[in-house]
Amino acid sequence: MNVILEVRGLSKRFGGLTAVHNLDFDVREGEILGMIGPNGAGKSTTFNLIAGTYPATAGDVRYAGERLLGLPPHRIAARGVMRTFQHNRPFAGMRVVDNVLVGAHTRFRRRLWSIVLGGAREEEMRQRERALELVRFVGLGEQANADVGTLSFGQGRLLEIARALAGEPRLILLDEPAAGLTPAECARLADIIRGIAARGIAVLLIEHDMHFLLPLAHRVVALNFGAKIADGPPAAVRAHRAVMDAYLGSHAPAQ
Amino acid sequence: MIKGATAFIVLAGAAFFMGDYHNDVYRKLLLWITLALGYNFLFGICGQVAFSHFAFYGIGAYSIVIFLFQFHLPFPVAVLCGIALCVFFALAVAIPSTRLEGFYLALATLALGQLFIVVLNEGGAVTGGTGGIANYRLPEIFGFQLRGPWYTAVIALLVVATYLVLVRLDRSWFGRACRAVRDNPEAAAAMGVNVARTKVIAFTLTSALAGVAGMVYAFVDNTVNPPIFGIDNAFLLLFMVIVGGAGRHAGAVIGATLLFLLPFWLSPLVGHHQALVFGVLVVLAILLQPAGLVGIYDRVVRR
Repeated sequence: MNVILEVRGLSKRFGGLTAVHNLDFDVREGEILGMIGPNGAGKSTTFNLIAGTYPATAGDVRYAGERLLGLPPHRIAARGVMRTFQHNRPFAGMRVVDNVLVGAHTRFRRRLWSIVLGGAREEEMRQRERALELVRFVGLGEQANADVGTLSFGQGRLLEIARALAGEPRLILLDEPAAGLTPAECARLADIIRGIAARGIAVLLIEHDMHFLLPLAHRVVALNFGAKIADGPPAAVRAHRAVMDAYLGSHAPAQ
Repeated sequence: MIKGATAFIVLAGAAFFMGDYHNDVYRKLLLWITLALGYNFLFGICGQVAFSHFAFYGIGAYSIVIFLFQFHLPFPVAVLCGIALCVFFALAVAIPSTRLEGFYLALATLALGQLFIVVLNEGGAVTGGTGGIANYRLPEIFGFQLRGPWYTAVIALLVVATYLVLVRLDRSWFGRACRAVRDNPEAAAAMGVNVARTKVIAFTLTSALAGVAGMVYAFVDNTVNPPIFGIDNAFLLLFMVIVGGAGRHAGAVIGATLLFLLPFWLSPLVGHHQALVFGVLVVLAILLQPAGLVGIYDRVVRR
């Protein structure tokens, strides 16, 4: 399958701290690529570099052949790279479906004058219908018109995903979507993520929890102290010596 | 559209059943509602704290008078020039200040508001100085002189048009982007919203609407003078929106109506102390009903 995202030599330093060091990896269309590593390994920083939230210190990120580094976050989103956040960030005081419609922001074509003259109704209704489909896809159909503040934590995690999907991404970045979910919610989430990949969307998935990630991911990249320590099929990465050391907290070099 | 036409007929029709005094009060009420609706979009929906709304109201009012009666421009040209002037100043303030964080916009607009008053006072023959400009009349339009309740109908049209424009924008991708920018700029940017551009557009648009309202105001008393456009009224506008319920169009209408009419009810009761009582009532409203008076209505309806 086609490579949608190429990361080469990506590095980020915050003052004297190297958060990401010389990172290389690819993501392919329709693939679920897991990114694991202990706290502070640089997973979220990598996301923020790809999404344009932080400027990179060095390296290259190519999405569909085009350089992403240096573009502001809204431009990157407009090109079809959408993300969720590690902590839910709903737009308060809006309904669930309207939150999802914010995710569809870059899909609207009608200009402001057209809205003022009342000519944007058809587009608004079409997009709303699409947003409702996504709300149902993540299993929040019954809450579609509820105020976003009434959602439970787990429902809020799913809303983040629906909102990101509304931007019609070719690559979606999910930052610990399973964190804080019950086992039942995790199982449903895994189905949703498989469903996303089945649509041909590339999924880059940060996950702490190996039990959730390993049966789900097609490939896994393991980070520690900002550098890649392993890369490959889930079972192989899990059995990798450096990964076991990182997770067991041993910093002893592999012998 | 049908609702808008109905609202216009009701609002304009009411003027024909009022005497001169009540017509004057009613016109000013409608103008305050217009300003509050625009300011609510900027402050309540887009989350920008600005104190320049009355300066733009003034720029609109003064520019139409100066363009018409000193430069002798044709009426439509004068209107377009007035709007262009508002847009120019709005962009000049918004572009540098929204690139900075939060309260710099408040400072920049506070400065613009003060500067505007200074320019009016020192403007010599062009602005008429502290006395302002008076003794002009609305030009005849198609040979018809709009006055009395007929001019009130123009103001009713202004309120309804402003409301329709703002509600349509609010219910579009633009309104959602504004609310997203207010709630969480970083998440909004991740959804593809150009945060700085959204803020600049919201500021410029609402400022231009205030300018248009100012043009209408210029022919209410057929005089324009500096105190009206000062910082006191800019703060009163902020209170109207907060007391009514920031972020809600109905809130802006309720807040503007109550706070505009309150002094009329208070002064016969408490005379000179009305400013004090007014202040206490506003503080109480904010403390007891932080979501605004429109929140009371919500609770009654949801019950």
